[in-house]
Amino acid sequence: MTRSSLSSLTVAQIRQGLLNGEFSAHELAQCALAIIDQRDTQVHAFLEITDTLAYQAADRVDAMVVAGDQLPILAGVPIAFKDNMNQLGTHTTCGSRMLEQYVAPFTATCVARAIEAGGLPLGKLNMDEFAFGSSTETSAFGFTRNPWDLQRVPGGSSGGSAAAVAAGMATITLGSDTGGSIRQPASFCGVVGFKPTYGMVSRYGVVAFGSSLDQVGPFGKTVADVAEALNAITGRDPQDCTSQEHQTDFSANLDQGIKGMRIGIVPAFLEASGVESEIISATKKAYENLERLGAKLVEIELPNANAAMSAYYVIGPCEAFSNLSRFDSIRYGYCHSDAATLVEQYEQSRAHGFGPEAIRRIMLGSYLLSSGVYERYYYPAQQVRTLITEDYARAFERVESIVTPVSPRAAFKFGEIADPTAMYLSDMFTISINIAGNGGMSLPVGLGETSGLPIGVQIIGPQFKDENILRVGAALESCYDIDRLAPGFSAAGQRRGYSDSPRFAAELASDLCPAASTEGGAR
Amino acid sequence: MHLSEKDVRAIATYARIGLTKAEVVSMTVDLNNIIESLKPITEYELDGVEPTFHPIADLSNVMREDVILSGLDPKTALENAPSHRDSAFKIPPILGGGDN
Repeated sequence: MTRSSLSSLTVAQIRQGLLNGEFSAHELAQCALAIIDQRDTQVHAFLEITDTLAYQAADRVDAMVVAGDQLPILAGVPIAFKDNMNQLGTHTTCGSRMLEQYVAPFTATCVARAIEAGGLPLGKLNMDEFAFGSSTETSAFGFTRNPWDLQRVPGGSSGGSAAAVAAGMATITLGSDTGGSIRQPASFCGVVGFKPTYGMVSRYGVVAFGSSLDQVGPFGKTVADVAEALNAITGRDPQDCTSQEHQTDFSANLDQGIKGMRIGIVPAFLEASGVESEIISATKKAYENLERLGAKLVEIELPNANAAMSAYYVIGPCEAFSNLSRFDSIRYGYCHSDAATLVEQYEQSRAHGFGPEAIRRIMLGSYLLSSGVYERYYYPAQQVRTLITEDYARAFERVESIVTPVSPRAAFKFGEIADPTAMYLSDMFTISINIAGNGGMSLPVGLGETSGLPIGVQIIGPQFKDENILRVGAALESCYDIDRLAPGFSAAGQRRGYSDSPRFAAELASDLCPAASTEGGAR
Repeated sequence: MHLSEKDVRAIATYARIGLTKAEVVSMTVDLNNIIESLKPITEYELDGVEPTFHPIADLSNVMREDVILSGLDPKTALENAPSHRDSAFKIPPILGGGDN
């Protein structure tokens, strides 16, 4: 097997290859770890490599193949997890000095389910500190670079999860999305990223940011891959009382097409200030393709969408302030050990353990929940939440899904957005569905005509109708001949003339995977 | 509403974050900018609108059977503790002086 051939394999192809005896799961693990060893020196998507766990999982899959057992959904699939997901025996840093030494004593349900489904856990992925950010620049452990252009951010907060897929280092990754943290990095890195309806995936074991907003979801190269990952990780978990039982097979209706389907478009979103022209034109082209596929486009209004941003930056920090109070320097986490009193230990440990953006959000939440201020900001924000939820409910009486831009612009350069409030605008189109609880997916729809960088559209569905999103996504995906691996990570990238950033072209020349010699060679 | 540096020091005390003088100055600027950007939330006509504290409308409280389930054993629970003694977390004095 060659490196680029493993990188381009889908979940279904991996399964078929295992069943046909073309390769073993052990070989898949070897090859995946060798790819990471080589490529991640430039991308820095991984914070920890778990090669022993990957080989153990591979051995279990290979034993099933030998025994002729039915293979589970993600058998042999190289997977990796955002570093806010506890996985027994691994570091779970949340991209923060606060948790640099923390080793998880238990495993998050989403992680356990992905591994039980046969996935090969390769490691833990970089993120904005405690998921506070839209660029992965706030990680305490260095930037992750966008595989499409190493001078640009991968988006965030799940930047490592998106970049790992775009660079062909993992087939499926998991991220979390509180205001756009799956969809925006997926858009920036040209991969598929799915934020399920709140309650579809258990949050047990995922370090909380905003408990009424957080939801775990998968990244992959194709809609079909993401659907399989959802089949593996969704469903009721007694450990998370907000998780919901369901009977949905997310892969079932991917090929049904969208003929006659009513799809909502929001003209006001394309007229919003700050939206770059290449985003508008890519979105309009996607609308044309939806019509060509037989969908009926319906103009809708989300009159309170403008208020989502300010509601989010009230609710999010308030919930974060509450959740991050658990970092007390006593049970786990960074401890400023020479403090003379308990209060001094709290104050110094939190001041030194948290980075600037985390401190900013904790401080903001602390202020917004204080007496007299609560009534001015927090309570109205939750009333606005009602209006936004009603907007979506009204819209979904007329349409079966809604398609909008993901981000007002393509990936930006490191340091380009220094003002926190300007950075917050990255999430202007993604935030409202976290407020309302609906599911949404970012689907790549080509390269920007100015930037040459990937652009995604967001497909939104009614609550707990996430299969609608996948159905629209699978249909729209068929209109684009896009390689989901960044140029230089894919031989096809060169064939198709994406030669602007062939940073890894030399690697293509040495394509053979040195599988036999790499065991133990990965970090 | 404009926050003073004194306000920011009070917020930091409440949040248990020990800011330096320079950090109080920059945090005051940052928080005032962010709060200014939240102004729209104070200007909505919201009379009679019920708040939504949670995105899923028909969730109800979940009670499990009152049976003992296994959890972390004390040794495991203490492994991430910066400081511990015997089977307890160890902290600095809270009542002034003496043995920890």
